[in-house]
Amino acid sequence: MAGMDAAAQGSGGHRPDHRGAYSRRGLFRAAATGVTILSVSALLEACGAAPSTRPDRSSGSSGSAGTSSADVGTDTGKEIDVLRVSLPGSLSNLYPGQESGILNYYVAGICMEGLVGVDTSGRIVPALAESFERTSPKTYVYTLRSDARFHDGSPVTADDVLHSIEMARDAKVSPSTASYWADLDKAVKSGDNEITLTTKTVDEAFAWLPSNADALWIAPKAAWERSKGGLGTAQSPIIGSGPYRVTDFAPDSHVEFTRVDTWWGGLPKVAKIRFEFIADDNTRLLAWRAGKADMSLNVPPAQAHQWESAAATRVVYAPDRSYTGLTFNLTAKPFDDVHVRRAIAHAVNRDAIVKNILRGRGQVATALSTPEQFGGLWTPEEATGRLAAVPQYEYDLEKAKQELARSSVPGGFTAALSYPNTGPQLGTAALAFAADLKKIGITLDIKELPIEQWLAELNEFPPLSFMWYFNTAGDPGELPSWFLGEGNPAKYDNAQVKAAMGKVSTESDPAKRAALLIEAQTAQAADLAYLPLWWGQAATAFGDAVGMRDFTSYTLLANWPALLYAAK
Amino acid sequence: MNRPVLAFALRRLGATLLLLLALSLLVFALMYLSPGDVARNMLGTRNVTPEALAEIRARYHLDEPFLTQYWLWVSQAVTGDFGTSIRTGGPVGPLMLSRTGITAATAGLAFLLSALVGIPVGIVAAVRRGRPLDRLLVGVSVVGVSAPGFAVGLLLLYVFALGLGWFPIYGTGDGFLDGLWHLVLPAVALALGLGAFVVKLTRAAVVRELDQDYVTFARGRGLPESAVLRIVLRNAAIPIVTSLGLMVAYLFGGTVLIEVTFALPGLGALMEESVLFKDVPVVQALTLVVAFVVSVTALVVDLSYLLIDPRVRARTVRTRAVRG
Repeated sequence: MAGMDAAAQGSGGHRPDHRGAYSRRGLFRAAATGVTILSVSALLEACGAAPSTRPDRSSGSSGSAGTSSADVGTDTGKEIDVLRVSLPGSLSNLYPGQESGILNYYVAGICMEGLVGVDTSGRIVPALAESFERTSPKTYVYTLRSDARFHDGSPVTADDVLHSIEMARDAKVSPSTASYWADLDKAVKSGDNEITLTTKTVDEAFAWLPSNADALWIAPKAAWERSKGGLGTAQSPIIGSGPYRVTDFAPDSHVEFTRVDTWWGGLPKVAKIRFEFIADDNTRLLAWRAGKADMSLNVPPAQAHQWESAAATRVVYAPDRSYTGLTFNLTAKPFDDVHVRRAIAHAVNRDAIVKNILRGRGQVATALSTPEQFGGLWTPEEATGRLAAVPQYEYDLEKAKQELARSSVPGGFTAALSYPNTGPQLGTAALAFAADLKKIGITLDIKELPIEQWLAELNEFPPLSFMWYFNTAGDPGELPSWFLGEGNPAKYDNAQVKAAMGKVSTESDPAKRAALLIEAQTAQAADLAYLPLWWGQAATAFGDAVGMRDFTSYTLLANWPALLYAAK
Repeated sequence: MNRPVLAFALRRLGATLLLLLALSLLVFALMYLSPGDVARNMLGTRNVTPEALAEIRARYHLDEPFLTQYWLWVSQAVTGDFGTSIRTGGPVGPLMLSRTGITAATAGLAFLLSALVGIPVGIVAAVRRGRPLDRLLVGVSVVGVSAPGFAVGLLLLYVFALGLGWFPIYGTGDGFLDGLWHLVLPAVALALGLGAFVVKLTRAAVVRELDQDYVTFARGRGLPESAVLRIVLRNAAIPIVTSLGLMVAYLFGGTVLIEVTFALPGLGALMEESVLFKDVPVVQALTLVVAFVVSVTALVVDLSYLLIDPRVRARTVRTRAVRG
């Protein structure tokens, strides 16, 4: 299934935005931004020299550079009274079925549970279901915990679960995720504490669906009914069975969670978690420098350097399971000619883009599936190795010239390429390869569009376009099943690839399935309907008083407050 | 005299309602024509079938012809039902109500600051015309007028919140006093540009009056300077009050940027998000509220002319008497 909408800030089919699921830079601000960045960066450089006023950070450690581990110091074992987390952009509704940016997932996940959840390695693990079993290719049986309680004190019953599934499938209540459930045939109570889900087709990715990392958030039936379809607003805040309950929510301002003592998993170490929504990147950085937060999610890449140089700060990078690449519309001239596509592929210097434009905070993409998607089967390193077997087009302008000479447009041509304002790195990369393409006679007309307009343009199948996709579930077939299946954005149709993808959807052995996926992507690489560019990373800032164990691409979708510790 | 004034006010109110109707159609049309697709805004780049997209559009009647869409909206709006926000899934009424306080307080504070500081400064500058003090005040106000609000906001944040630590950086605070304290910097950021504008207008109006023959005459008659100034100010009041009325419209524009900079959950920030998302019900309701406030302000300004200037008062009464 596709990702969720990283509403202004995201992961997973999430709406791409550098602030993550939900930050939308205003059109109003567009004109102003240039000025801001100039004046403000000067300002901020200056304030790097000023003494830090952060009260709760020891002056011992000065800002360290980016890292990939969120561990720090030693775990004091002490409780954390309040954890202050600053988010880019804002959340106006806490129910991810309505507003499904990646930040919405991170926030709702500590309050609402699914039948299953995800762990830090990307495996599906029990949540409200203490165990689950796939009894036939189309049948999934979940046994509910008997000790789970909602925040209002009522026990979690099979009826609540069934009603929540019904709500998740209801396009009115859950417009963002309802379409994911299309393959569900029926959901029934098959025993006192048992739910059975049956699917219409055999679908390996279905197992992810009833998790709070994908498309199910379980609330009491009574709460759904009381909210009249408006669960998640300030009038009807979300309620669930997770370790934290909502104690204060002001849309577009902040939300505060307090731990509960009824959670089946025990009492969390962090007593309160307060998320502040700060839409303006510069303001958020100033607030960080003033010591107003302990953790900041989705630090914008353009500002990463300033965050890294803040006092007592660690900026931690982890792959965000995003894919950025070019999509060629195979029915549009001149991209219907494989030589044109190869010429372009040979002219794109992906190593240089990752090294210089992303400052190394990313990985050259050799395929559509990101390495982290193979979690549970391979480590990201192993997966990277396997995916490197997919044939690549090395950067070679001579070869690019030769390919173009053999094409239908030997003299070159002009094409348009647009990128969203929320992904300035896409634009910079486009300018970089446009300069190389110019040398072989291809002129790219590069244009920045507001994210909203860019998304709408994708509906029209442009001849040449960027795809910026954040995987939702930890399923390596998520993007390939869309890109190589029916209704794909390249209008790509290859019988061999389709046959392999057909087997992917029914193969239940993860290793065999992964092999089939790589086989299909290898065949795709020869046809070059898609040119993968890079797999992205997200930056999270931590104050030195707080450490987090096991920080991976999946951590914030898992039960992440349990991994935090007070550091010394 | 009251009856003509009342008739005048009623006439203006009727015209305002017509204006609001026309404006709602215009904004609706602009939103309809602006690029972007609500269904995509909701779903991002994820894989959805064209049917699923069509289903979302159908839910919000976006597949209907333009006039049908507008009719659906307007027929609900006249009953006071502004519909459901597409972005947040909640009803528009409570959504706006919960944010009005912040914007009203910020804008009100900024208005007071710019009027209470701007008018006296403008008068001083006019009285000292051509002297160094005047040059200084005019110079500062030129800077104020030209500095964009959000840049001023960031500068203020840097100096007074991060550097000196006198004010909070963002958010709304708890309780009345803390809340007010949180609004000081945003209000000052808004008021700087606005106040400078008031200084320039006040100065121009007062200078113009000071050049009038009646001032020379009054001085020639030996009237004390304070008495002369009182007459001058009364005559200069109409352009000044008019500019204050215009400021209200400007204030709403300013709050959009200021609220985003200071992370205040007010109407301006809501407007930004809603316009970008094409959340038509919210944009429509917001535009109407803003237009209504601006129209009412204009009416109040016009009525204030009657108080300030007896000539206008007499004219209004006479016209009504002749016509009626």
